[in-house]
Amino acid sequence: MAHHDDQDLLPTPGQRVGTFLKRKDVSQTFVLGIFFTAVFVVLGLWVYPHWMPNVMSKEMQGNEDIMIWFTVISAPIAGVVLAIAMESFINMHRGDTPPPEDGPGIKTHGPVVVIWSAVSVLFTIVAIVWGITEMNTWSSDALAGSNNALVVDVTGSQWNWSFNYPAQGITSHELNLPINQPVEFRVISADVNHSFWPVQLGVKVDANRLSTTIARTTPDKLGVFDVKCAELCGLNHAYMETSGHVESVADFNSWVSQAKATGGTQQ
Amino acid sequence: MTTLSHKPASARPIPNPERSLITRLNMGSGTVVGILFAVITYYLLRHHFGSPWRVNHGMDMTNTHFVNVTILCTMFAWSFGFLVGIGALIGPFRWLIGKDLTAEEQLYLAGDGQGIKRYFKYCTDHKVVGIQYLVGVMTLLGVGGTMAMMIRTNLVTPGSHFVAPVVYNSLVGLHGITMIIAMIIVSTGPFGNYIMPIMIGAADMAFPRLNALSWWVLFTAIPVLCSAWFLGGIPTGWTAYAPLSDQAGPGMNAFLATIIIFAVSTAVAGMNITTTVVAMRAKGMKWNRVPIFVVGATISVALAIPAFPTFMVAMIQTGLDRTISTGFYDANVGGSGWLYANLFWIMGHPEVYVILIPGVAALMEIAPVFVRKPLFSYGAAIAGFAGIAGLSVLVWAHHMYMSGWMPSLNGPFMITTEFISVPTGLLFLVLVGTLWRGKPWMKMPMLSVYAFIWDFLIGGITGIYLSDVPADNYLHGSMFVTAHFHYTLMGAALTGAIGALAFWFPKMTGRMLNDRASYISFWLIQIGFNVLFLGMFMAGAAGQPRRVADYAQAFAHANLISTIGAYSVGLGMIVLLWAIIHSWRSGIIAPMNPWGSKTLEWTVPYPVPLVNFDEPPVVTSDPYNYGRSAK
Amino acid sequence: MASTTTSKSKTALGAVVAIALGIAVVAGVGVELHAHSFLNAPTETATINGTITAPDGKSYPHAFITDGVFAAAADSKAHGNCENCDGGHPSWPSYGPYTKFILPAHAYVTVTLHVYDGGEKLNNPYFANVVGTIGGTMNVDGKDVASLAPDGVQHTFTIHGLPTETQDPLFVNIPLPKTGDGQQDEPGSPLPKGHTVTFSFITGGKGNYVWNCEYPCGDTTYQGFGAVMGSQGFMSGKVTVL
Repeated sequence: MAHHDDQDLLPTPGQRVGTFLKRKDVSQTFVLGIFFTAVFVVLGLWVYPHWMPNVMSKEMQGNEDIMIWFTVISAPIAGVVLAIAMESFINMHRGDTPPPEDGPGIKTHGPVVVIWSAVSVLFTIVAIVWGITEMNTWSSDALAGSNNALVVDVTGSQWNWSFNYPAQGITSHELNLPINQPVEFRVISADVNHSFWPVQLGVKVDANRLSTTIARTTPDKLGVFDVKCAELCGLNHAYMETSGHVESVADFNSWVSQAKATGGTQQ
Repeated sequence: MTTLSHKPASARPIPNPERSLITRLNMGSGTVVGILFAVITYYLLRHHFGSPWRVNHGMDMTNTHFVNVTILCTMFAWSFGFLVGIGALIGPFRWLIGKDLTAEEQLYLAGDGQGIKRYFKYCTDHKVVGIQYLVGVMTLLGVGGTMAMMIRTNLVTPGSHFVAPVVYNSLVGLHGITMIIAMIIVSTGPFGNYIMPIMIGAADMAFPRLNALSWWVLFTAIPVLCSAWFLGGIPTGWTAYAPLSDQAGPGMNAFLATIIIFAVSTAVAGMNITTTVVAMRAKGMKWNRVPIFVVGATISVALAIPAFPTFMVAMIQTGLDRTISTGFYDANVGGSGWLYANLFWIMGHPEVYVILIPGVAALMEIAPVFVRKPLFSYGAAIAGFAGIAGLSVLVWAHHMYMSGWMPSLNGPFMITTEFISVPTGLLFLVLVGTLWRGKPWMKMPMLSVYAFIWDFLIGGITGIYLSDVPADNYLHGSMFVTAHFHYTLMGAALTGAIGALAFWFPKMTGRMLNDRASYISFWLIQIGFNVLFLGMFMAGAAGQPRRVADYAQAFAHANLISTIGAYSVGLGMIVLLWAIIHSWRSGIIAPMNPWGSKTLEWTVPYPVPLVNFDEPPVVTSDPYNYGRSAK
Repeated sequence: MASTTTSKSKTALGAVVAIALGIAVVAGVGVELHAHSFLNAPTETATINGTITAPDGKSYPHAFITDGVFAAAADSKAHGNCENCDGGHPSWPSYGPYTKFILPAHAYVTVTLHVYDGGEKLNNPYFANVVGTIGGTMNVDGKDVASLAPDGVQHTFTIHGLPTETQDPLFVNIPLPKTGDGQQDEPGSPLPKGHTVTFSFITGGKGNYVWNCEYPCGDTTYQGFGAVMGSQGFMSGKVTVL
């Protein structure tokens, strides 16, 4: 039994890549790898835009992009791992008796370990750089908008949200916002931990007792969005939701006036 | 220090049952004394503080703090009383009075000649403790799994009204903590105890009496945990966030007491396993010849030792808040919920790796045997486990990105968290490298390796999204997180444990696990699992928060799919349970080494002799030297 | 050890029986939890009496609901009539006799609450405003008010629900004024002198909503929202619009 390439995981110097790739298990794995990579690429590109709700701010768009592209970037890794697993699965030895002989005695392969680790580190750095860049963009957007930001004080109580617009002098139980206006949410809790989550606006921050936390965004699309509580807060946590509307400046102002006319609170 | 005799069983004197207290003590006496201590404590405190029932139900709405003191003390009294009643304290007491146990007594404690009764006693034989852990883990899984079925049934449609929100919240929290406890011990408990000492060529663990202690302490926590249901449940998740945990009713005390008791058990077990592996390996078993499961289990418990005390502290502080109003977590008096969150997650993140590593290590033990190839790059496996363990203590605040605690630290924690994917990637490399160019013998243990690869891949990739701070703005607190951690904790750790059980079943029970039933359960579980949690990713990506008893119509589809998957998992688990019990009682008798493995546990017969080996073995190579041209 | 056909089918039968037993145990647990889920809360269906024209000019069927709020659950009659309330919490404040309400859709609903408890400060002063009613006001003992002082509230009746595409939103918040100290309702009555609060709102289409009190009456618990506040059937319940 001549096994001159028995322990080769990669072509030895001098052996042509073509010969290596022509080996049956390698070529099958390669094809499977392409297949699984394609599956994950398609999943990334299709699934998240379909599953995720309306994008109503830059931050939300950034979140959706991260989900899509991190999946696409991970696709080759998933492809390699699943391909090798599937290839070995196809070649299974069945039955109650053990296999008649051992497989190749490959204990390690330095270059493979190094390359694998290096690729891992590279992917990690790409993910980190993406994340840090995105965080910096959000920060600078927030800074730029902070001068004329619409301030909304958000209070989470067990089990309702209430909103106070100090500049407009009204309170409400729904979160109406004018379009293209940077908004600064100052969030606090009247009791236990809640988490303020205006879903389609792509931001979230916990509501804590006696410590105000801040979230900032600029809604850039008209429509309705959900405000949910994302931290279990007791009995009616599931029902601690309300709606918000991103509307034109005119509509927002008339909503404010109506609230003022009914004792300073939205009816 | 007395040593155990190697004389054959027939020549050893059987300890005279009339002579010693030790021979009369067992689980029954433990229960009696435990209940006695609990009742005495309860009535003493009730006399002092007033009846908890009267405080809660009566016309006098005084102090809920008194209720908490009474309940907590009663629970600890039960636990301590049980240990007294089963004889856990006899050894220390004898040492205290200068009369240590005789050789005869130690032999008796090791369960020599007692048949099935020794499983219900304070037995120091690591093999008995391993079986006790196995039964305990299966019980916890059964209880936790039943709760999961309830949860998914409630979520089958929006507004199902299957259970009330207060019941649902308790289900979620108690399912979580039951499963977390079960997963922490699922591989290290049964296999770390039964198999690991034999695997390293030892006669028993370093501290056999502490081994029995760790199991029985855990045992006392189980009724305490279950009592939460009779005390009104808990309003928190398994993370027991403060200040909701301060606000919670009497059931919360059961949770606190369970964790404090459990932390003692794991500390003792962790110390035992680590010492055993460091000090009692067979001659010739150098560090580069230690089976990978042993390495994994040791790294896991070594990580647990610094981690779990912070959980215990967090619970003690919650207990103090609830009894003497210390205000650690009450912002009204200068405390902070963030203190709790930090303490909790400093434990909580390493803890998930405590759960993961033994499961993966067991699969790394299995793969070489069934593929008949060496474990690919033993060094990378060690680096992977060590890297994960080391980094895991630096990442905890990724659970707090959205808490508002310290936004400036989100970036650094993102960096450390992302880097965990590097050692984790090495684990994949080791497994697929082992598979490469092999013809795997497709039995139940090997199937688990494939399930792991798929499940942990999904779990890992979705973890990358979560580790990204901006994306976490969307995903934190949604069902996406729940799906992610079930893929890692259940898809990786539980799958690994099931594979390990199928692998070591012949050595632990002397019989083969029924193949057909195992395969049926495997596919029911794995297909159901993927349907269940892929559906949950869908719901989470669409914006459904987690831990909600009800949800908007938009999530109806995804939840229905999830619930269907859950029923498949439930059915598969019941089939697996049947397979285990049936095979244990009347399965095919197993040969000494049915799989052709090269580790030491397969060189001893079943029933495994009391001291495992007639002659201490000498090891000359690592256990993975398979291969047509092995170096 | 080969199995014979008989023992193989015996094994299969044993497996089926054991598995069925397992399923039965889980199902049994489910039945128990369902039964303990307080799903048969004392329910009031609104009585419809004539029609009424709302400020928007439209005419609606006029539906009526009456309920109460008491300092002790025994007085509320929501938890049975027995002396120590059958394992319940007689000292906990409670709405009663009803905690679940069935309202007609697209109706003008008038609710009258007789309230008998003392009070202090709300955790969130927002809930001292009247929200969601006709005119944005409620009628307290004959006088219309739009809000209360945040420290003069005994409980609130706050209706809310999940925003979902299958139902109209409904949000109503009614702060209930606390009773004065030392005044008796009637000579010999154990109740303090209470208030009568009336308010009206218009329902949308069919939907399922919840209501809960936003006043922290869970004494000695963190922020007063433990104990009674976190339990079913006292300070929270359901509103179903049919």
